[in-house]
Formats: sequence, structure tokens, C-alpha cells
Amino acid sequence: MTRAARNRIAIVLLTSPALLIFTVVVAYPILQTFLKGFYRWDGLSTPIWIGVRNYVNLFVHNEDFSLAVENGILFVLVLVVYQIGLGTILALTMLDGKLKARNIYKAAYFIPVVLSISVVCQLWVSIYSYDHGLINSALKALGSSFRQGWLADRNTAIFAVAFTNAWQYMGIQFIFLYAGAQAIPEHLFEAARMDGTPQWKAHVLITIPLMAETYKFCFILAVTGGLQAFANMFIMTNGGPGTYTYTLTFVMYKLAFFSDQLGYASSAAAVLIVECLLATILLNRFIAREQYTY
Amino acid sequence: MGGSRTILRFLKYLLMTLYALLSVYPLVWLLFYSFKRNDEIFFTNPFGLPAHLLYQNYVRAWHAFNMPSYFTNSIVVTTATVAFTVLIALLFSYATARMKWKLATAARLYVGVGLFIPVQVILIPLVLLIKGFHLTNTYPSLVLPYVAFQLGFSTMAFYSFLRTVPFEFEEAASLDGASLATTLFRVIIPMVKGAIASVSIFVALAAWNEFPVALILINKESRKTLPLGLINFMGQFKTDWGAVGASLVIASLPTVILFLVFSRHIERALTIGAALKG
Repeated sequence: MTRAARNRIAIVLLTSPALLIFTVVVAYPILQTFLKGFYRWDGLSTPIWIGVRNYVNLFVHNEDFSLAVENGILFVLVLVVYQIGLGTILALTMLDGKLKARNIYKAAYFIPVVLSISVVCQLWVSIYSYDHGLINSALKALGSSFRQGWLADRNTAIFAVAFTNAWQYMGIQFIFLYAGAQAIPEHLFEAARMDGTPQWKAHVLITIPLMAETYKFCFILAVTGGLQAFANMFIMTNGGPGTYTYTLTFVMYKLAFFSDQLGYASSAAAVLIVECLLATILLNRFIAREQYTY
Repeated sequence: MGGSRTILRFLKYLLMTLYALLSVYPLVWLLFYSFKRNDEIFFTNPFGLPAHLLYQNYVRAWHAFNMPSYFTNSIVVTTATVAFTVLIALLFSYATARMKWKLATAARLYVGVGLFIPVQVILIPLVLLIKGFHLTNTYPSLVLPYVAFQLGFSTMAFYSFLRTVPFEFEEAASLDGASLATTLFRVIIPMVKGAIASVSIFVALAAWNEFPVALILINKESRKTLPLGLINFMGQFKTDWGAVGASLVIASLPTVILFLVFSRHIERALTIGAALKG
């Protein structure tokens, strides 16, 4: 360690820009969100302390809120099944070292990730379109008379919106799952194969359990990502039909920017933070509790 | 045995190809219809290659939709975000990874928490903060939060790279009488160029595509970034599918090209992120 490495003035100069900007723009506002959740406040006049009344209103009287929580869970389920379920199958399939053109497949899976969410949402609005959308046109071309207003029907809307998100960000989860699977030493897997265990079974018994660390991360990503969903419904359905695709962020957005109830809106945002935090802690606790070393 | 292995391999290719189609065909469909007229999209040829390349859709999209302005705004905001994030994160990570002080770990974790915070939860205080600074509808109103939120990822990524550089380099530089600044900019930073590239691309993608913060903070047409501008004329020009499609393609070109050229860097940046979050 050199003398320069202990230079205090240098340490302050090097770290203060990051600490300052993070404190002012992220840390302080988070505190504000939690604090303002206990006030009645329109953003202009002096906030009035009302204790937990905002939370009581949310949990007991606000129907949008319970729908939003439910939609958050549905959104998470779609992400988990599609991205982690299908992603696992694809990652394990591609693990076979003799397959060619794997980089091309990887690129194909990843390309939607780099598009703007506005682009992807508009694209899928046209895919779901009742009159001329890709899905209904394909159904017609196949000779089916079935057509569906995918985003207009209250039973399908949330799933259609969640699917768009799952489809777009599949590439990220795939990269993680594939990298995680590749990190498992081959000899562990080969030992099972020697006993004549079929490949898929060896994967289920050996590869997947050894990927616990990867799964922990992927689940955290999918669960917190699903709970935070907002842009998708904002662009595709504006929360509709009615309020059937509301999420917590949507509730917060409407309360804050359309009815000036900033305190009430902050309490909804605080619920979202707590949800994400709880999910992260639980997943950390229940997945990958033992460390594997190879 | 050989037969069943061939079948298995065929099934693998089949599965991988089917998903590749699901992933890419919607984009190809978009590219195709951006060159078509409505009657071709709707009735005569919904799925295939355009009969004629109707490039007029692109001309219309570019002129009618304020595209040049959205593009400029996105480029300015993205460039500034990348430059500030990389510089600030590098300096910070150098101090946490390679200098000796008591609170180094605490400071590193503090900023790293940004990785776990959903941006929506600070939107309300952020609006008031930006108003308080009189920055409403300016570039800094976007660059500030973008930098702040990207610090979590970038400082953690730089930290893990900087830790892999042997400490002998600083000792040698110090023996030669080099100042801290010289050591940092001439010796250490050139050694983590790859990491800088990965982080830059990752941050650029995030800034270029960011939506919720821009939605809340920008309401002046002349300051709107691409993702925000795009949803505007979605309603306005609903019936002109070709031109709307063209605008979506134009908006996507920069990041798609960036990805095709630097896909390895992106993959690397992502896998660092995974190692950190887990």
C-alpha cells in the first residue's frame, strides 16, 4: 500500500461527486417517500400529519389498490413461467457444445431487449389489434373464425400486457441462465450420464440444483421487475379496460399527477418498496442457502 | 444410438429455432410493414416481404413526427449520462477499490443500493426536487436522475474490475514519483478499458430507452426524448400504420446497431451485474 493510497483529501475529492448526487437524487427522495406517506398533502400547501390513514385507505377502501396488487402478482407469474421456465429449457438445450451458430441464436433472443419499451409496446399494440393485428390475421389465414380484442378484454388484457414484457426481456434472463448453466463443471454432469441417466433427467437432478445462485438472481429480477411494471400498461392500455391493468405504480401515478394527492400517492409508492424488499429477502432466504464449491 | 442422437440434436435445433422466430419475427413484421401501404398490411399481404419498398413512409415519419428533435434530445441526454456516469463512477470506485480508508465498504454499499431501488418510488420527490432547482424541462433534469440511478451498477462493475488489477502497479508508479492523478489516468484507467466499454454501452442503452422519468419530468414538446415522443403520435397517426412503423424502426436503429457491434460487451456487462446482485 503506497502513501498516496491513504491521502484523505484525494479520497474526499474522488468520492464526493458520487456520494453527493446519489444522496440528493436517490437516498433523500426515498426517505421523503416514506415520510410523506403519513401526510395529507397536495404538493402546495403545508402537509398535514394523518398517521397511517393513507395506508388504511389503501388497504381497506381503495379498490384500484387491491386490483393493482393482484395484477402485480399476475405479472410476476407470467414473467416467472415464461422467462425462467422457458429460459431454462432454452439454456439447457443450448448447453450442448456441438451445436452450431449458438451466437446467432443468442443474438436473436437478445435483440428485443435493446429496443425502447415504447417501440415494443406500440409494436405489440399492433400485433394485438382486433381488426388488423398479426395474431388475428394469422388466425384468419389459418382458417379460424376466432378473433379476440386481446387488450380490450378484461380477462386477457393483463396477460397480454405482461406477455409483452416477458417477451421483450427474455434475452436478459436467458443470458443469465445460460451463463449459470455453463459455469457448472461438466464432470459432475458426465458422471450421471455414465450411469445411463437420460440427459434431461441429469439436468433436472444435477444442473438445475447446482444453478441455485443463478436462480436466486433470476427470480429476484423477475419478481421485482413484475411488481414494478408500469410503462407497459401506460403505453398499451392506459390502465384499461377500466382499471383492469392497474399496477401499484399506476395507482401512485394517478393519485399524484391527476388528483394531487401526493401524500396518498407516496404511501402507494412505499408499499411498492416494501413489496420489493420483502420479495428480495424471502428469495434470498429460501433459494441457495447452501453454498456449493466445486 | 447414433440415430437417436441425431434426432435429439434435430429437436434441439428445432426448439432453438422456434424461439428465435418468436423473438425476431415480430420485429421483421414491423420492418416489413414500415415499407407497406395500409391495404397491403391489412389485406393483400400482411405477413411477407413488401411488394414495393415504400420509402415515403420513412420520409413522412421523419418530417411529420418531430423525429429530428426527439433524436437530438435523446443523443444529448444519453451522451451526457454516459460521460458523467463513467467519470463519476470511476473516480468513486478507484477510491473504494484501491485506497485505504475506514468507510470504503460502507460507501460502496450505500451507492450500490441504487441497483435495487425501483425508479418509480422516487418520482414524486424527484419532481419537486427538479422544480426546486428550476430545472424543469431541461436536459439536466433527466441526466441527473439517470446518472444517479446508473451509479449503482457502474460503481459495482468498476469495483470488481479494479480489484483484479495487481497493486504493484501503483507501487511502481509511486516509486517513479507519479502523482495520484497520473497513476489513475495513465496507469490504472487504461487497464480497465474493457470494463469502461461494457459499462458505457450498458448505461447508454438504459438512458436511450428510459421512459417513466422522462414521462414525469418532461412535458415540453421540444425537450422530449425518443421513447416519450414516440407514444405521442401513436394516437395521433393511428391510421397511418406504415409511417408509424417507420418511426419505430428509425428509433430502434441506433441501439440495434450498437448491439450488433458490441454484443459481447453487453453480455459481459450483464454477467458482471448478475454476479453482483446475487
